[in-house]
Amino acid sequence: MVKFLSDEWNNISKEYILKKLDPEKDLRNVTTSLLAVIEHVPPNDSTMNFYLELQDGKLTNFIVNTGDTYVGKEAVFTVSGNYGTYRSILKGEMSMAVALLRGRLKLKGSKMKALQIIKPLDGVIVSLKEITDEFEE
Amino acid sequence: MSLEKVETMQKISLEDALEIAKKGSHCGMCRFDFLGTGICPSGKKYGFLAYWPQGRMQIFKMLMSGKVKPSEKLIEIANSCTLCGICDKQCNFATQLRPEKVAKALKDYTNNLDKSEYQEVIEDDILKGLREIVGEKWATNDPVIISSYVQTIIHPDSELNFYVVMPENAEEISKIIKFANQHNIPFMPRSGGTLLSCATPTVLSKAICLDHGIIIDLLRLKKLEVDVKSCTATVGAGITAFELQKEAHKHKLRANLAEAGAHVCSNIASTGITSTWQNRYGWAADNYIDVTIVDDKGTIRNNSDMDIKNPYTTERGFTDITLSPPGIITESTVKLHPIADDEDVILVPFEHLKDALSMIIKLAQRNVGVSLIVLSRKYLSEFLCPTNQIAKDFEYICKNYLKLNYVVDVIGNKDDKKIVEEMAECTIDKSMIKTLILGAPKLASLKNSEFLKVLSEEKNPCKAIFAGPMRKHLEKGLDASPEQIAKVFDADLQDFFKKVYSKPEMTDIIWLHSFRILPSRLMRQRLFFAQAGMIWSADQDKILRLVDMLSKVCDKYKLEHMLGFVLPMDDGKYVFFEYDYYYNHNDPDATKRVSQALIETTENCLLMGDILMVLNYLFKGLYRKEHVLYPIPKGISDEDLALFRELIVSILGDEFKW
Repeated sequence: MVKFLSDEWNNISKEYILKKLDPEKDLRNVTTSLLAVIEHVPPNDSTMNFYLELQDGKLTNFIVNTGDTYVGKEAVFTVSGNYGTYRSILKGEMSMAVALLRGRLKLKGSKMKALQIIKPLDGVIVSLKEITDEFEE
Repeated sequence: MSLEKVETMQKISLEDALEIAKKGSHCGMCRFDFLGTGICPSGKKYGFLAYWPQGRMQIFKMLMSGKVKPSEKLIEIANSCTLCGICDKQCNFATQLRPEKVAKALKDYTNNLDKSEYQEVIEDDILKGLREIVGEKWATNDPVIISSYVQTIIHPDSELNFYVVMPENAEEISKIIKFANQHNIPFMPRSGGTLLSCATPTVLSKAICLDHGIIIDLLRLKKLEVDVKSCTATVGAGITAFELQKEAHKHKLRANLAEAGAHVCSNIASTGITSTWQNRYGWAADNYIDVTIVDDKGTIRNNSDMDIKNPYTTERGFTDITLSPPGIITESTVKLHPIADDEDVILVPFEHLKDALSMIIKLAQRNVGVSLIVLSRKYLSEFLCPTNQIAKDFEYICKNYLKLNYVVDVIGNKDDKKIVEEMAECTIDKSMIKTLILGAPKLASLKNSEFLKVLSEEKNPCKAIFAGPMRKHLEKGLDASPEQIAKVFDADLQDFFKKVYSKPEMTDIIWLHSFRILPSRLMRQRLFFAQAGMIWSADQDKILRLVDMLSKVCDKYKLEHMLGFVLPMDDGKYVFFEYDYYYNHNDPDATKRVSQALIETTENCLLMGDILMVLNYLFKGLYRKEHVLYPIPKGISDEDLALFRELIVSILGDEFKW
């Protein structure tokens, strides 16, 4: 178990998704990319992001960055929210859909396409939950 | 101290008080002066919901269920009630409850507590930070105070890990939001709380309740200024519809407003303000000139700023699932409308919805009338009748003897009245409505009378009784007077209600349309949830199919239900409908069935097309109506339906899979 947004978290997440999630069954052979922007990251109140890319249901890119963009990559979707919201999602206190419903996450990109990947993304979140247990408070 | 322990000392009064407290529905009518009684002195002084009658009832319920433990603040809350009796008068008008009995029981309960039974409440760093912004008095994390907000912004099953803060202005709200973001704490504004109280027990709690964090109670933003020259009013977020209307009426002006207890600013953000006046006065951005809004970053802006993105648009379709406020409106400048000297009201009774619809749409398209609505017999009965039982009997008479299932309700000038009279076979005038208000108890008592049986055999009973020779007999027989109606209230309140019903405005149906104090009776000791939306009016058969579908789904889930109203908008091109499910909010099975009906009817509406649901417009922004209504939505495809169902399951879990 590792700390959210650490290098270790990044590496283990990548391995875990590749190993445990079936491209067809779990990720529906989806081709998409997502930039998750995390605001107000403690202790310095900074902004970070992770960029995730799937090709035919296979994870091809997963990287953690600082700031609110991943230079050189234009994601199909961008979801933004504060650190507390991501923490709640990864602790299983709230689903991504509920976070969107409550306006805690803001989505940029086609809403219809976003709905199509909500199920596969739930799978990714479940995976990340398995490996993440440490957060900044 | 548990209920069992206290029972030995105060068995009857505590049980009675709990019974009252459970029936409290958070209609919010105890927080403004709609009967000329003044308002609860402790609520006015301390502000937090806990110090108002509705909050005390909620606290009592929470204490008795063991969901909250006493704290020292409880003593202040209990003792701050002076037992002045104002709440009993206000609450009795709307719901027939006696909150003062709960306040007394709370005093007794508190007096019998040992000091050891109080929980300690610690001022943590977050609370210190909030108090630095608003002052010590206006921020708290006391669980007893927090518990008063349960059911109107906090789900009943939530833990009470919240803060409540009562800022005084936009600058303080901005600081609170920045502080909350910095500490990764969610926040949400609370105004009147009526919409939240209706939605909280249902699945919508997933969207509109706060699970933890900071409740920003907006009651202290009390600015209210009328500019007669420009026919506008500037209102703070703590101002209710009633308070604004009262101020506007002093200048012979009228505001387009929701029900009396709704806060004007929050209503602009939530439903866009739905009223009987909306075909003429408009909807959504038609209602305001400008708003001051604090966004989720804490930035204060005005909708009139030149450098912000077009604020009047919103996303369309069912995919924008956000159902939370787009920001906190701290102040709005709203339009006011001149009141004509010759305004009058006229009701046209109908047996069939089809005929009522046809008439209201014709009137709206011809711009006849300033207020237009089709009211169902259910709404008519609930509004006019002073008690639940009288409303039931009144409705029974409408349905079974008078064949009066709907009324087309028009307020307009004398020319409008003439047009309606020419179109209608029979009408009910202002004087007869006054008779029905004051004579409702007597009419209800005739439920199984020979008189009504004979009347029901007439070809058109309404015509016979309201416009024919029987009218005089009815007027005489109902003995409609303040003295008569006052008799249905508790003995100690009868003198008060005699005076209330002697006031001309209390039987003036135009005043009642403007001030909207009667809709609170829909929350009489139970709750309702409205499946509402807008439908293109050109296909009237489709409107009837929609109503039929809503009815069948509610039957399936064994709910008490009926169409509430249909009102035209945008020159009659659309109609707004509200179909209501009534339920006991203390019964988990009933709330589950309401939720299931809500989801299923939403899905059916999406499939039907040409309908805009609550999902499409609630909290979607401060839009122009044109951006929401057009293009007319098409029915969704099977593929979209599958996505919608997946979304619902993702949000609500497998319980809602079908």
